Amino acid sequence: MSEADTVIVGAGAAGLLLAARLAEAGEKVTVLEAGPERSTQDLISSQIWARKLKWSGPAVEEAGNHPVGHAFNAGSGTGGSAVHHYGVWLRLHESDFTVATDHGVGLDWPLSYEELRPYYDRIQTEVGISGDATQEIWRPKGADYPMSALPVFSQGRVIQEGFNAKGKHTAPLPLAINSRPYEGRASCLYDGWCDAGCPIGALANPLVTWLPRATVAGVKLVHHARVIRVERNANNPQQIDQVRYLKDGQVNTLKANRFIIAAFTVQTARILLSSADDDRPAPGNRFDQLGRYLTSHPAGTIFGLFEKETQPHLGVTGGQLLSHDDYDDKSAPGGFGSSQWLIANAIKPHDLLGYGTSRPDIVGPKVKPWLEKAAKHIGNMTLVAEDIAQPDNRITLSKNTDQDGIPLAHTYHDLSADLISRWDQRMAEGQGIFRAAGATDVWQGPRVPMHIMGGTVMGRDELHSVTDSFGRVHDTDNLFVAGPSLFPSTGAVNPTFTLTALADRQADHLIG
Amino acid sequence: MGLSRRKVLAGGGTALGTFLIGGRWVDASPKTARELGFTPQVLTAAQCEALEVTGDALVPGALKAGLAPFIDSQLALGSGSKLIAKYLGVDPLGQQSFYRAIADNLIINLAHPDTTAEQLTGSMASDSVSEWVGPPASYAFFVLRADALDVTYGTPEGFAALNIPYSANIQPETSW
Repeated sequence: MSEADTVIVGAGAAGLLLAARLAEAGEKVTVLEAGPERSTQDLISSQIWARKLKWSGPAVEEAGNHPVGHAFNAGSGTGGSAVHHYGVWLRLHESDFTVATDHGVGLDWPLSYEELRPYYDRIQTEVGISGDATQEIWRPKGADYPMSALPVFSQGRVIQEGFNAKGKHTAPLPLAINSRPYEGRASCLYDGWCDAGCPIGALANPLVTWLPRATVAGVKLVHHARVIRVERNANNPQQIDQVRYLKDGQVNTLKANRFIIAAFTVQTARILLSSADDDRPAPGNRFDQLGRYLTSHPAGTIFGLFEKETQPHLGVTGGQLLSHDDYDDKSAPGGFGSSQWLIANAIKPHDLLGYGTSRPDIVGPKVKPWLEKAAKHIGNMTLVAEDIAQPDNRITLSKNTDQDGIPLAHTYHDLSADLISRWDQRMAEGQGIFRAAGATDVWQGPRVPMHIMGGTVMGRDELHSVTDSFGRVHDTDNLFVAGPSLFPSTGAVNPTFTLTALADRQADHLIG
Repeated sequence: MGLSRRKVLAGGGTALGTFLIGGRWVDASPKTARELGFTPQVLTAAQCEALEVTGDALVPGALKAGLAPFIDSQLALGSGSKLIAKYLGVDPLGQQSFYRAIADNLIINLAHPDTTAEQLTGSMASDSVSEWVGPPASYAFFVLRADALDVTYGTPEGFAALNIPYSANIQPETSW
C-alpha cells in the first residue's frame, strides 16, 4: 500500500516546485532531502559560513580536463543549490534547443523554445524577475519582466565604457531579485551576500518561493534522508514500488504511486545507477545512456584595476549588466559555442571568487595595500561559455564506497578543443574590453566549472536519452527526473530559470 | 512576511568557536583563542606554529588573527569543516591528513637555519622546495594563503581594516 501519492527526492528548486504544485492539486507528497533543514533565519552573512550551504555529503570523485566542481556547485539542505545561487535568470535562446540539427554536435532538445516559453512567462510572474527586456536586444520572445531592472552602480558604469568603446551592447542583467517589494518579499539591499543565501527574501531562492507554498499545501519534508535507490515492482518491472533511504543510521523504505528524482545532477544519476538489479539494468539504462552527457559551463573571471572608484562591494553577486552580443553565432571563427558576459559582480576580498584570492602572486607586506586599493578600484566580470554534450562525459558508480557502504559517484568531464578555444578567445576579448574601459592592470582567473547538467538527459527516444520531454524515465511508468540533469544542451546561460520552467511544465503534465 | 531589513534576524546565530583553553572549553574567536593559549585538537603545537608562521608570511596579520586555531578548530569539525579546501578538491574528511602533511613539510623546511618563512613561500609558489612530499607545494601555498585571507580579512573586523562596509543581513556571531 502506498504511503504517498508522490515521493520527491531532493528539496531543491525543481523538487520543491513540484512538491508545491502537486500538493496544491490535492496529492499527498513526501520530500526526502539528504541535507539539513534550513530557513531564511539560518543564512549568516559570511563567505566562510556560506560554505555550509554547499555540498556536504559523501565525496564525489572528479576526473577529466574540466572537472565539474561538485563541492562548489552543489548544495545541501532545504532549497538545495538554489539557496546559494545568484538569481541570474536568463532564458535559453531558440538556437540552444537545436545544436545537433544546426551544427551536428551534441543533442537537440525534445521540445522547442516555443513550447517552453509559456512556462518561462508564467514562472517569471510567480517568482518575480527584475530587468529591462527592451534593452536585451538578443532576448528570445517572451513577456516583459514584472519588475524594473536593479540599479547599475559605479563598477557597472565603469566597465560598460569598455563595451561601448568596443561597439558592444550591454543591458541590465535580469535577476530573480526584487528591485521593489514583490509578492510580500522585500527589495534588495545590494550588499552582495547572495552566495551566503538571502535572508530577507529579496532573491527568489526556494526557501521563499516554493517552500512556503509546499508547507501550506501539506507537503511532508524529511531531512537527513539519503536515498540509496528506487526499487521495481517484482511483477511489473516498469513500475517503481518504493524508495530505499538512510536516516539516523537506519535503512527505511517508502512506497508511493509516483517517484520524482530531483537530487541535482550527480546524485540523481547515482541513485538511478544504484537501482539496477542482478537481472535488470538500472531504470533508463537499457541502452547504456544513464549518466552520459554530463555537462558544465566553462567559466572565468576578468579582473581589472581602474583609476575611477568602482565600489565593488555594492550590488549583487550575479552582476549588474549583461552582454549576449556573441551568443547566437555558435560557429563563429575561433572555436565553438555561445558565450555571455555577466558584468560587475559584487565581490569580496576573500573566498574562492574574491579578489584577494585572484592574485596569489601578491604576498607579504604588499597584500594589505593592494587589498585596500582593490576594495575601491577593482572591477570584474564573468564569462559563461557553452558546453556540448558528449557521451563519454559521464557519471558512473565508483568502486569506492562511503562510510555507509554506498558507492560514491564518479564523474568524468572533458571539454573539447574547440570549446576551450572559444573560452580562450572570449577571455582574451574580455581583457581587451577592460583595457578599453581604462583598466590599468588586467588579469584573469582560471577556467572553472560553473553549473552541472546532464547525466539523465531528456530526448525523443530511448536509444539516445534517459527520459521523455516530461522527465519520465523511458522504461518506467511512474519514475520521473527533474532538474538540470535533464538538459540535453547547456547554452551559455545560467540554468535555474530553465530548470524551473521545465519543472512547471512537468507539474502541468502530471496534474493533467 | 515578517522579515524586516538589515537589522533582521538576530536569532539566527552560528555556534561560537569552541577552544580548549587552560583545561576548559571556551567559546572564543580564533584571535582570542590564540592569545589565551589554546590547546589544538587535531594538529600538534609544532604543526600549528609552522602553519601560522608561513601563513603570516603570505598574509601579514594572519598569525595574530588566529590562523592556527582557525584551521585546527575547523579540522576538528570533520565533515562540517568550512575551510576553503572543500572547494579545492580536498574533501572535508580528508582535510586532517592534508593539513598535517603540509605542516610537516613546513616544519622540515623551516628548520633549516638559513630558510625564512618568506623564502619558503617563494619556493612553494614555484614548486621548487627541495624537501617536500605529498600535496604539491604550490597547491599548499594557494590553500594556505586563502586560509590566511579568510581569517585576516574575511571577517567584519577584516572588512573594517580595509574600509569596506560589511553590511551583514545576519551578523556572524563569530568571525565566520
